[in-house]
Amino acid sequence: MSYLATTDFLDDKDFVDRYLYTMRTGNLDLSWMNAATEHVEVQAANKRRGLTFRDLDVGTYGYTELPAISRGASSLAPRGAEEPAGLPDMNAGTVRKADVWAYNIEGYYEEAMSRQWNAATDIPWKQLCETELAEDIGKAYSQLLTFLTEVEMIATDVPSKWLSQISSDYFEVKNFIATQCMDEARHAEVFRKRALTTGYGLMKASPQNERNLKFLREADSFAEASTTLHLQAEGFVLTMFRFSEYLSPTDGDKKLFRLVMQDEARHVGYGMQHLKWHLENAPESREIIHRHLAEAENFIFGGIFAPEVLESFVILAGKGSKHENIRAGVDVVNRFAIQQVEEYFERLDKCGMPERRERSTLWQVIEMAKAGTAANHA
Amino acid sequence: MSYYAEKYFFEDETTIEANQRLAEGKLVLDWFDVDAEKVRVVPSDFNRGLTYDDCNVGGYGWDAIPENIRRNYSMAARGSVLVPGLPDLGYTLNRKSEVWSNNCAELYEESKSRRWAPAVDIDWEAVRANPLSPPCTHAMRQLCTALLEIALGILEFPGRWVFWINQEFLELKSLHCAQMIDQARHVEVFRKRAMTIGGLGRASVAIEQAVKELISADTYTSGSLSVFLMLNSIVLGLFRTASSASSVDAKMFRLCMQDTARQIAYATGQLRFFLGEHPAKSLVLHEHLDQTEHVMVGILAAPELLEPLIVLAGGGTSAAQVSAGRDKVLAMHRGVIGEYLERLASVGLERRGRTRLEKVFS
Repeated sequence: MSYLATTDFLDDKDFVDRYLYTMRTGNLDLSWMNAATEHVEVQAANKRRGLTFRDLDVGTYGYTELPAISRGASSLAPRGAEEPAGLPDMNAGTVRKADVWAYNIEGYYEEAMSRQWNAATDIPWKQLCETELAEDIGKAYSQLLTFLTEVEMIATDVPSKWLSQISSDYFEVKNFIATQCMDEARHAEVFRKRALTTGYGLMKASPQNERNLKFLREADSFAEASTTLHLQAEGFVLTMFRFSEYLSPTDGDKKLFRLVMQDEARHVGYGMQHLKWHLENAPESREIIHRHLAEAENFIFGGIFAPEVLESFVILAGKGSKHENIRAGVDVVNRFAIQQVEEYFERLDKCGMPERRERSTLWQVIEMAKAGTAANHA
Repeated sequence: MSYYAEKYFFEDETTIEANQRLAEGKLVLDWFDVDAEKVRVVPSDFNRGLTYDDCNVGGYGWDAIPENIRRNYSMAARGSVLVPGLPDLGYTLNRKSEVWSNNCAELYEESKSRRWAPAVDIDWEAVRANPLSPPCTHAMRQLCTALLEIALGILEFPGRWVFWINQEFLELKSLHCAQMIDQARHVEVFRKRAMTIGGLGRASVAIEQAVKELISADTYTSGSLSVFLMLNSIVLGLFRTASSASSVDAKMFRLCMQDTARQIAYATGQLRFFLGEHPAKSLVLHEHLDQTEHVMVGILAAPELLEPLIVLAGGGTSAAQVSAGRDKVLAMHRGVIGEYLERLASVGLERRGRTRLEKVFS
């Protein structure tokens, strides 16, 4: 055991005797009725929306008045409860609000709860199972689905790693992480199931992108992990989902991508609002985030041209594997790659990191690519 | 950062050439003819949709997962074509028997189909319209405080392990994600319930000490047994008893019960699978339980949980009400311990006659 309670309750004669006495006599202490907590009676501001975390943002229970640092031992005592002496320390390593909080965190959580969907029943599987795809399209689509199946659950592994390290004072963040883990499990599920209905199954794994996943797992802090996972990686994937919807071979597939997109947009939203909050409240981290992003961009550049990802995209975009299809597909994919990177830098702008562009080699590379594309079209 | 790319790709000729090659439309297509297992799964029942059970075919299925995962430490999807260069992501739970349960895919599917949202699925207006008596209101606030502490603890458990579980066990990891959202939902609903009627009460040292010991188990198997089976056996009993407080509470606790019952079903299945593969390890688990079962007393007998439950079960604090409540809670305690021991016995871990719990709850 890595932790033993301060008493063995079965050996604690006073504790057991008190229990037996209570059960024998019915004499209750009832001192908990006088717990020193704030009296509140919240109600839903909007009855249609139900009772939300925002409605609970009152007094010592709320998040608005949360101090910048959760000082002292971090127990499981719910925020606002009376905390008697002797509560154990859960040893949460992340106790600064700046390191986990995001604007609108309560909204992201409630939205996640209200927009859960079911990959088993919300996708028109009958239609998809009856659709026969041409071999080149079918294989390209299966390859794309293989990649998506492979990368989705990194956004489960990484946040869950941090969940137990975050103080329970920030339970809204922990709850949001729980919804994200579920979202990603559903994404892995839906992409896997779709790949297994195409007739081609899962195809080739992507070593270069996997190394990027390893990088995402190994971040030193939650803020760094979130910036590269939520904002950068999921941001790139969000753009990819949007293109995938556009390229989807059937209406059922378009629906699939629309559903995953709304989840992914929420995760990116959290990442952006967290980075914004973090930079505003922990400005000393700016250089650390830059350093982390520099390596993350290196991984992105190394993985973006992995043949098993972009080539399948080219065939889907060109709607086939003939020479003219590939030419058309390359044009679309070049625009897509540029858009992916531009959106990434736009997101950083909005979070208060506009200077990232001038410091980024990735930005320089994409500027050159844009110039090249413009010259070709001229 | 403790992991960097093996190259600075911006200056790597191979990467730059790959970029140019693609821009010229010269595809490598090394993925196009990989030796993938070709399948076309279909739902066995279109009303139920396409389930993971429908996907349990050939090399893609969980039946094909070997006891020891030796080939894949990456996130490559089970059944996809593995190629050289896939990294080791550091997974430490790579034995099927340590984590698997034959019902995990089914439970995952169930968790999605039974999802609910506390904000809208509980009639919060009815809580205001039909208040509990003052002592029961106090008791409900205190009970919810204790349940919140427990829910926050259980939420941490899957979070602690998912990161280390090999991705080949996809359905199990997905179930853990479902368990996390279930627990988040419990954290949410108990907080909301308390705050509609006055706010939270007092945290409990005994409960938190007990929960911390349970979620800190050294191994996944002993932790799953402690948290999902032992602790949740208590939680299920608490939910059942508290559900009689009002019609709103009946619905709230019923919804919570179905989530918790799934976690118990997983833990029971996991234990069965584990002992089926390693019957000799029952000794290790017995020793673990010999040490940890005391926490059941710590939780059930914690005054911050015991007393409000008696008040709620009896409907108030008069002598007659307390007496009635005490009888119900005593029956619940005996029921919890009895069901817990039965669950263990059903998978081959007979604790009756060995456990110290019977001395207190007989």
